[in-house]
Amino acid sequence: MELNAGTAGTGSLKTASERDEVAALESLQFTDEIRRLMSAPATDNASSFTALLELPAPQAVQLIHSPDSAKLIAAPPPAPNVDDFKGSFNFPFNSGLIERATRFSLFAGDGNINDNNKSNSPEPTSYNSSANLQKPVKSEPTETESYQPLVSDPTVENRSTKRKDREKVKGSTKKSKTGAKDSSDDAQKLPYVHVRARRGQATDSHSLAERARREKINARMKLLQELVPGCSKISGTALVLDEIINHVQSLQRQVEFLSMRLAAVNPRIDFNLDSVFTAESGSLMDSNFSGMVMPMMLPEVQLNGNRQQYPQQLHFDAFQQPVWGTEEVCNNYITPENSLLSYDSSGNSASLHSNQLKMEL
Amino acid sequence: MNPSSLKSRFTTRFLRALTKINAHKPISSSSPGPGEIFQRYRRIKVAADKSMAYSVRSRRTWSRATLWRLRTRSPRSRLATHARRSWVKTRSTRAASHGKEKKEDGGTVEAEELRELVPGGEAMDLCNLLDETAHYIKCLTTQLDILDRQECTSREL
Repeated sequence: MELNAGTAGTGSLKTASERDEVAALESLQFTDEIRRLMSAPATDNASSFTALLELPAPQAVQLIHSPDSAKLIAAPPPAPNVDDFKGSFNFPFNSGLIERATRFSLFAGDGNINDNNKSNSPEPTSYNSSANLQKPVKSEPTETESYQPLVSDPTVENRSTKRKDREKVKGSTKKSKTGAKDSSDDAQKLPYVHVRARRGQATDSHSLAERARREKINARMKLLQELVPGCSKISGTALVLDEIINHVQSLQRQVEFLSMRLAAVNPRIDFNLDSVFTAESGSLMDSNFSGMVMPMMLPEVQLNGNRQQYPQQLHFDAFQQPVWGTEEVCNNYITPENSLLSYDSSGNSASLHSNQLKMEL
Repeated sequence: MNPSSLKSRFTTRFLRALTKINAHKPISSSSPGPGEIFQRYRRIKVAADKSMAYSVRSRRTWSRATLWRLRTRSPRSRLATHARRSWVKTRSTRAASHGKEKKEDGGTVEAEELRELVPGGEAMDLCNLLDETAHYIKCLTTQLDILDRQECTSREL
């Protein structure tokens, strides 16, 4: 497509051209080509232009159809990632570009777009100042966050990240050229893919999907990093995964260890739910268990019917434990919580336990 | 204390299981030999895992896998493990095809380890695997907390 290096026109006509072009291009596939067209005369404005092109199609159409752009201007306040759009919005106006844009719509059954364009081209002249342009563009980030025609979530997330990345990725229009060619094929297969690719990135559907997948994985890794203590400092996927693996292994081993302990400790226990829930782990922290030798006690169990009291009244039956040989010190995995927890629904289960124990005797 | 939280669900189940275990075992007055203790340990561990998996039901893959594992432990081992292995193989190949096409460097080696650790993780793509791992870690910490407290209270003299 040849490029008509147009001279800069008035602001109103600029916005008109943009609106038209946005309306004409219902999918990303043409933004690259337009970008290429526009970038030659005004490379510094390319970022803002693409920002405008990011307006979702219905919104763009709405902009065209509704001469009162006040609606959109009063729209949600500008999103934080507006920094991208700080540049000047001086698009070189070229009426020829409008026609070219309309010609770009290769959609099979989308003659409507062309009709809309042509019929509405006189309307956008009501947009007067570039300020109007700025606000719709600013509100666009928030709009795009919520706008989701047939796009899955990852692609919506992608947009915000792509916008940030666009600041970094500038130039290299060659990639966008090749991307545009691929995407034009995709357009005919999937007319509803409303995904915005980064500038200079391939718009191949495969790479897009893969990027979405990567974003998902990165988000989940962040969550895991918060879960696993000491992982937030580590950077790099492999090391973080190593930490996670170690943590899971240690947790599993601790479960085995504790269950071994339980097996050794309690032949007969009065399971007082309150005692389980209240903070008793302090004793474990203080004492140093070497060998886990417990004094032998007579096998008597005193059932405490009063669930409200603390287990000081309970006599635990414990057998002499064999010396395990390993020094077991309770380490940091015990998290003592010193808050009283009242277990409301324990009524049934606790009485059940006491009944069972009574049956044993 | 939320009566329907994971913690409370697990606790009730686990305590019930513990009482059952204690009821079944004849209490020997002399010190139980290591074999006995080992048996008890196995039972308690199984009870802990089972009650945790039951608290989560089938909402999570790992809980389903754990329950499956526990159900088909030794008695009907051969048939069950064979069936399971073939199922896992088909699913893992499917997961591998769309999950690991482009080898993410550093992601696959650790991912394999993680798959082995997390029950039921063999046939999952990395994305779901990380999800499951997060939930699994959360449940393991809950389990540890309750086990620890139970052990503390039972050690009290």
